[in-house]
Amino acid sequence: MIGLGARGLGALGAASLLNPDLLEGGSNPDALRLSGSLETPHFKPTAKRIIYLFLSGGPSHIDLYDYHPKMREIHGIELPDSVRNGQRITGMTSGQESFPCVAPMFEFSRHGPSGSWFSDAIPEIAGIAEEITLVKSVHTEAINHDPAITAINTGSQQPGKPSMGAWLDWGIGSPNKDLPGYVVMISKGKGNAQALYDRLWGSGFLPSKHQGVKFRSAGDPVLYLSNPNGVSREMRRNMLDGISRINLAKKSETGDLEIDARIAQYEMAYRMQTSVPELVDLRDEPQHVLDLYGEDALEKGTFAHNCLIARRLSERGVPFIQLFHRGWDQHNNLPKQIRGQTKDVDQAAAALVKDLKQRGLLKDTIVICGGEFGRTIYSQGKLTKDNHGRDHHGRCFSMWMAGGGFKAGFEYGKTDDFAYNIVENPVHVNDLNATVLRALGIDHERFTYKYLGLDQRLTGVEHPKVISDLLA
Amino acid sequence: MRPILSNKCFFCHGPSEKSRKANLRLDKKDHAFDERNGVAAFAIKNLNKSEAWHRITSQDEDDVMPPPEFKKELTAEEIETLRQWIEQGAKWEDHWAFNPVIRPSPPKNSLPHWIRNPIDQFVLKTLEELNLSPSPEADKRTLVRRLYFDLTGLPPRPGEIDSFVLDHSPHAYEKVVDHLLRSDAYAERMTLVWMDAARYGDTSVFHDDGPRDMWPWRDWVLNAYRNNMSFDQFTIEQLAGDLLPDASVDQKIASGFNRNHATTDEGGAIAEEFRVEYVVDRVKTTSNVWMGLTMECAQCHSHKYDPISQEEYFQFFAFYNNNADSGMQTRSGNAEPMVEIVSPERKASLAKAERKVAGFTKEMKSRRGMVMDSFLAWSKETTTSYDGNLSAPEPEDLIAHLPLDEFEENVTKDLIRPPQGCLLKGKAKPIRLAKFGGGIKIEGRGFVEVRDFGNFESNQSFSFGAWVKIPRDNLTGAVLGKMDVENKHRGYDLWLEGGRPGVHLIHEWPSNAIKVVAREKIKPNQWNHLFVTYNGTAKAGGVRIYVNGKNQGKISAEDSLTKSIRTKKPLHVGGRSTSSFVKGTAIDEVRFYDRNLSPKEVGILAQSDPIGPILGIPENNRTQSQKETLLTHFLESQDEPYQKIKELKTKADKELESLRKERVTSMIMADNPANKERKTYLLMRGQYSAPDKSKEISADTPSFLPPMRKNLPKNRLGLAKWLMDENHPLTARVTVNRYWQTIFGQPLVSTPGDFGAQGSSPTHPDLLNWLAYDFRESKWNVKRMIKQLVMSSTYRQSSIVRPVHRKKDPENLYYSRASRFRLMGEFVRDNALFVSGLLNQTFGGPGVRTYQPPGLWNEVALRPVVKFVRDDGDKLYRRSMYTYWKRSAPHPGLMAFDAPTRETCTLQRQRTNTPMQALVTLNDEQFVEAARAFAQRILQSGRKSISGKIDWAFQCATGRSADSLRLEVLKNAHHHHLEIFEKEPDRAQELLAIGESPRDASISQAEHATWTILGSMILNLDETMNRE
Repeated sequence: MIGLGARGLGALGAASLLNPDLLEGGSNPDALRLSGSLETPHFKPTAKRIIYLFLSGGPSHIDLYDYHPKMREIHGIELPDSVRNGQRITGMTSGQESFPCVAPMFEFSRHGPSGSWFSDAIPEIAGIAEEITLVKSVHTEAINHDPAITAINTGSQQPGKPSMGAWLDWGIGSPNKDLPGYVVMISKGKGNAQALYDRLWGSGFLPSKHQGVKFRSAGDPVLYLSNPNGVSREMRRNMLDGISRINLAKKSETGDLEIDARIAQYEMAYRMQTSVPELVDLRDEPQHVLDLYGEDALEKGTFAHNCLIARRLSERGVPFIQLFHRGWDQHNNLPKQIRGQTKDVDQAAAALVKDLKQRGLLKDTIVICGGEFGRTIYSQGKLTKDNHGRDHHGRCFSMWMAGGGFKAGFEYGKTDDFAYNIVENPVHVNDLNATVLRALGIDHERFTYKYLGLDQRLTGVEHPKVISDLLA
Repeated sequence: MRPILSNKCFFCHGPSEKSRKANLRLDKKDHAFDERNGVAAFAIKNLNKSEAWHRITSQDEDDVMPPPEFKKELTAEEIETLRQWIEQGAKWEDHWAFNPVIRPSPPKNSLPHWIRNPIDQFVLKTLEELNLSPSPEADKRTLVRRLYFDLTGLPPRPGEIDSFVLDHSPHAYEKVVDHLLRSDAYAERMTLVWMDAARYGDTSVFHDDGPRDMWPWRDWVLNAYRNNMSFDQFTIEQLAGDLLPDASVDQKIASGFNRNHATTDEGGAIAEEFRVEYVVDRVKTTSNVWMGLTMECAQCHSHKYDPISQEEYFQFFAFYNNNADSGMQTRSGNAEPMVEIVSPERKASLAKAERKVAGFTKEMKSRRGMVMDSFLAWSKETTTSYDGNLSAPEPEDLIAHLPLDEFEENVTKDLIRPPQGCLLKGKAKPIRLAKFGGGIKIEGRGFVEVRDFGNFESNQSFSFGAWVKIPRDNLTGAVLGKMDVENKHRGYDLWLEGGRPGVHLIHEWPSNAIKVVAREKIKPNQWNHLFVTYNGTAKAGGVRIYVNGKNQGKISAEDSLTKSIRTKKPLHVGGRSTSSFVKGTAIDEVRFYDRNLSPKEVGILAQSDPIGPILGIPENNRTQSQKETLLTHFLESQDEPYQKIKELKTKADKELESLRKERVTSMIMADNPANKERKTYLLMRGQYSAPDKSKEISADTPSFLPPMRKNLPKNRLGLAKWLMDENHPLTARVTVNRYWQTIFGQPLVSTPGDFGAQGSSPTHPDLLNWLAYDFRESKWNVKRMIKQLVMSSTYRQSSIVRPVHRKKDPENLYYSRASRFRLMGEFVRDNALFVSGLLNQTFGGPGVRTYQPPGLWNEVALRPVVKFVRDDGDKLYRRSMYTYWKRSAPHPGLMAFDAPTRETCTLQRQRTNTPMQALVTLNDEQFVEAARAFAQRILQSGRKSISGKIDWAFQCATGRSADSLRLEVLKNAHHHHLEIFEKEPDRAQELLAIGESPRDASISQAEHATWTILGSMILNLDETMNRE
C-alpha cells in the first residue's frame, strides 16, 4: 500500500477502490470471476491488467535494441538486393537514388541474463533487462503509420474494429466501479510526430461504453468531469437526489428496469468526480517515488507523469491503461531526435516497472512497450558523419514486455545483420496480441463478438498463434 | 436447423471450395441428402442412417463433429433441434432471405377491432401464438411526443400537444402524421440515419484526416427525403448519378455517396494499395446497405457461409474498379473528380467580377494604343540621353521570354511565342513587385507550366536562367525544371542544393547523367540572376553556372551522360514535374536561348537594367519583344492614367480571386473513359499487389441472385438498376427492415447488415415479406411506408412494461407493447436546445463547430495548424446532425451517446448507458447554457407560482404535467438552491456566465440561477431523455 496516504484512503472513501484480491495473488476462487461478458477466463490467468506504453511513430529498433556488431562494417555500403529481396518500401524513399546502410550512431552494451544489447540512449531500460522479455522479431504487413498503428491496436489495418482495450473492457470488465476500465493518456516528445486517431482506443462495433476514456493533462482530467462554475458538490448531490427520486417514480410508473441503470450511472459519474481528481493528485507520492520517475514526474502531460498515473490506476485495479507517446517518426535528424525521445521515456518506463515490482503489482501486471513498426537500416535522405534518417520498416522491429507472466530476462527472435529480415522466431503483431490475451487467461480464438456475419476477433481472421515461449 | 448448420458446419462444409472438407456441402440440399458410398449426411426420418447424426453425437475425439480444435462445439439444445428435424422429416429450406419476396396474406385474428392495417394482423398473429395480448393505446400525450421524436427527432410544443389532445376527430392522429412528414425536421431525421450508413464525414479519415466538403451531398439527401424521392431513384442517383444520360449537377452530387469513405494523403502510401482499398469499401458498403450481404468476406477467399465465390466478389468489384479518383488523395479539401456548385447568386457575382477585370484589361490595352506618340517621344529622348556604356545589345536567339508581369486568368505570356499561354498552377501566385515589374512567388506545390517548349537534346547547346530571390540560404529545390521525376528524373533543371545553384542533365539518374553544383551559396532575400549555359558536348565541363553575371567555381558530381535527355513533361518554373518546388522563392524574367551564350552575353543579361540594353539598340533594330518591354516600362513608370487603371485592375483581380476561392465543390464518382478502362483481375489473397493476370474478370452480379437483365449496361448504372429489380430478393427486405428499426427502435432482423446465413432470422418473416412487397408495389414510396408504420395499432401501444411482458417477452421482440428507449445522442442535444428555445432550425448547409473542450484535435493531429475554431452565434445551436464531423476526433459529447465515428458504414447504433453521458448532460457548456435559457423561458412563461412554473417546464420537456411528487422534489430543490444563491451571489453569477447567448439581465440572478439548476435537473430526467 505504499504511496496511498491516509488522505487517499480515508477521507474520500477510496478503500473500496482497492480490490483486496489484487495484492493477495488471487487465492480466493472468486478472484477469477470477471465482470465483463466473459464470466470466467478460459485459462488461469497470469495477469489481471495491462499498462501499454505505446511509442507512436515507429521507434528505430536498430538504434535502441536490435544491434549487430556487423553493422559497423556495413556502414555506408549499399543495401544488398539479397537483403531487400524486392520488398516494397514506402513512397517516401522508393524514389531514392541509393540506399546506404547506416550503423547506429549510439554505443551498445549487453545487459541481463540473456546478454541483450541496449543502446546508450536507454540506460535505465537496460537496467531492468532482467525483468523484461525483449522480442526482436515482431512484424507487420503495414509500411505506413495510419494502417500500421491501426493494425497493432485493433488487429486490422482498416478502421471499424474495436481497440484492444475496448475488447478487454467488454470481455473482462473492471473490478473498480468508480473508475473507467480503459484509460488512455497522451504525451508528445519533440521528435517528428504522427497523428493519432480516436479509433485507436475506440469501441468499433462493440458498445460505445467500452471506448477508452482519455485522462487529459489540461482542463478536466476526464472530459466534462467538473461541475459547472457556481455549482458545488453539495448542490450536485441535492440535484442528483432529486433526479433519482423522480426517476424511481418513473420506474414504478413504466416498469422500465433500465431506469435503475441510469440512476447507477449518474451515481458513478458523481463518484468519478472525486475518484479521478484523487487519482491524479500526486501530492501523496513520497519524494523518493517522484525521484524514481524523474524530473518530469510532477509535470502534467509528460510521459513520466502519465507513467506515475498509470501505476496509481493499476493499484486501483484498472485493467487496461494505455499511454501514447508521440514523436518517434525519425525520417531525418534521427540521432538527435532519438535522444530527445528516449530522454522522455527511458527513466520513466524503467521506473514504472521497478515501482510496480516493489509494490508486488508486477507479477500480475503486463507492461508492454513499443510502437507500430521499426525503421530501415538504410538512410533516408543524406547520410553524413553525424546525421541521417530512417524510413519505416515493418518486416521486423523490437518490443518488450515485463511482468504478468511474461518471462523475465529473456530475449526472443533474431534478425539478420541488417536488422532487416527475421531469421528466427517471427512474432506477428496479432501473435503478440494473442499471447497477451493468453496471459490474461483468454483464448483469442474463443474471444469473439458476432458482427456482420463473422465471429469477430481482436486477432483477425488469419490464424495467429500464441507464442508460449514468451510466457513463464 | 439452418442457422445451426451455418454457424457450426458451413465453415468446412459450405460454399467455400478451399476450406471445404470431405467434399461435403451442407448448404445445398442435394449434397446434404446425397448418398455417397452408401453414406449420406442426413437421411430423412432416420437418425441411424444419418452420418451427420453419428458424428455430432460421437464420443470419439477423432470422429466427433465439429472437430474439438475448431472450438465450435454444438450445444445440447442444438443437437436436440437437429434430432427433431431429422426425425420429423428433415424438411429442407433454402435460406429465407434469398427466396423471392412473395406477398403473404395477412392472417385473421381474434381482435378485429384492434387491427388498423396489415402490420397489426401479422404482429397480433405472433402475439396470439405466444399467448400475449397487445397493450392498450398509449395516452395521447405520450403518443404524440413519441410520434414527434420518431418522425422528426424533435419534441412537440406544449400547444401542439394540447391541440392534439383536444382534437377528437377520427383523423386527429393522421393529421399530425401528415404534418410531420411534410416538415423539414423529418428530412433531417431520416438523413441522420442515412449519414451513418453512407459513412458521412467532414474529414478524410486516414493519416492527416484533413477537411473536405461533402455537405452538398448531404443537402442532396435532405432534399431527397423532403421531396419524398422514391427509393429506387434515391438508389440509382447515389450509386450512378454520374452515369445517367445528361446527368445534372445534382445527380452527380448524389453519386458522391461513394466518395464519403476514408481516403489517404500519407506521403509513403502506395497509391494502388489505397485505390483498391477504396473499391473494397464501396463494394462492402453497397452490399451491406442495399443487400445485407457481407460480400467483403469473399475478398481473400470464397465466402464461408454465403454462396459468393472469390471470383464473384471480383466480378462485383469490377463495377467499381474503373474509378477515376486516385489512391493518393489530399489532406486539404476535395480530391478530383468533383463538381462545382454554383448558385444563381454566385454565378451573377462571379460574372460581375469577371466583367470588371475584363473591362480594366481592355482599358489597359487601349491605353497602350493611345500613348504611341508620347511613348515614341519619350523613347527618342531617353535613347538620346542614354549613356552608352551598356550599349551592348541584348543577346540574340532568344527563344522564350517570360517577363511574368501580366496574368490573366492565371495565364501569362511568353513574349516570343505570344499565342502560347503559360499557366500558373497550384500553390504559386503572381506578385506585383518583382525584379522588373511583376513576377511570381512559389508558396508550395506551385509553378508556371510552359508547354511544348524546351525539349532540348543532350547534343544541343542552350542557355537559360532567371532572376531569383530565395527565402533562406539553405534552400533546396528546382527553379526551372523540365524533368520527369517518375521516369528516372529524365530531363534537365536549374536547381539549388542547400542554397548552391546546380544543374542536372539526365537520361537516367544516377547512371547516365550530368550533375554540376556551384561551390558558393547564393545570398537569400535579394534578387540574384541565375543563368546556365551548355555547349552540347554531354560533358560536365560543358556546363557553366553564372550568378549575377559571374561564372562560378563548380563541383561536378556526375558526369556519365551519353543518351537522350528529352521528355514530354512540360517545363516548370518553380519545380520539377512532381517535386522539388522552391517554396518561398520569387522568380522573374525567365529567358531561354538556343545556343551557348558567352560570358559577356550573360553579363549583359545580368545587368540590373532590362531597359538599358534595349535603349542601347538603335530604334529600328529593336525586336518586337524589345519594343513591347520598353512600352510596358514606359506605361508603368511614366503614364499616370495607365498606372491608375492598373491599380484598379489589381484590385479587381484580387476580388475575383477571393470570390473564386470561396467556391464550393462536392466530390463525385466518375469512371475512366473507354480507352483508359482499368482491367479487373482476381486479387490473390485479396492483395492489391497479387492480381491473377491469367484471367480477366468482367463486371457481373453473384449467380445465386437473379441475373442482370440483358438490356442493362454492365456498369454502376446497371448495378443500381439491378438492385432495384422487382425480382431482387434482398433490397426491399433489407430496406424496410431499416425503416422498421428507425421507427420502432429495433429491427425485425436484428442484423440489418447481414441477411446471409450467419445473420439473424426475422422475428416476423411474413410481416417482413409483406412490407417488402408492399414497398416495391408502392413504387418505393418512402413516406408512405413510414406513415404505414406509425399508423398501425402496433406502433400506438403503451410502453408500460407489465410482469407478463418481463416473463414472456423481456426484449419486446414481439411488440406486445411499445418500446421505451433513450433518444439518439443527437436528439438528446436537439431536445435540450429545443426546450430551451435556443435551437436554430436552419435547413442544410456545411457542418458547424459547436462547443467542445479545447485541445481535442491538437492532441492527436498530425499538423498543429489544423485547429478547432469554434463557431459563434446561431451556429452553436444548429441541430446536432450538422455537427462538424472530424472522424479522427469526433465530438466527444455525441460519441458518449453512441454516435459512430463514421469511418465505415454503420447500420445500427448501440444504445448504452454510461457515466460519461451523465457528465455530458450535467456539465457540458452546451447543456448548462440550455438549462439557463430554459430557466429564462420558464421565468417568462407567465406562470406566477413556483408550481405553475414547474408544471410549464415539465410540459415543455416531457409533454406532461408535473404530479405532486415531481412538484415536491423540484420545489424543494428550488428552496434549497435559492437560499444558496442568495447567500452566495458569486455562484449565481458564475453559473449564469456559462454559454455565449445573452441572458435577460432584468431577471434576478439568484432566481435565474436557481431555475437554471431546476432546468438542468429536468433536462437530465430519464423521462426527458427517453422516447416512451
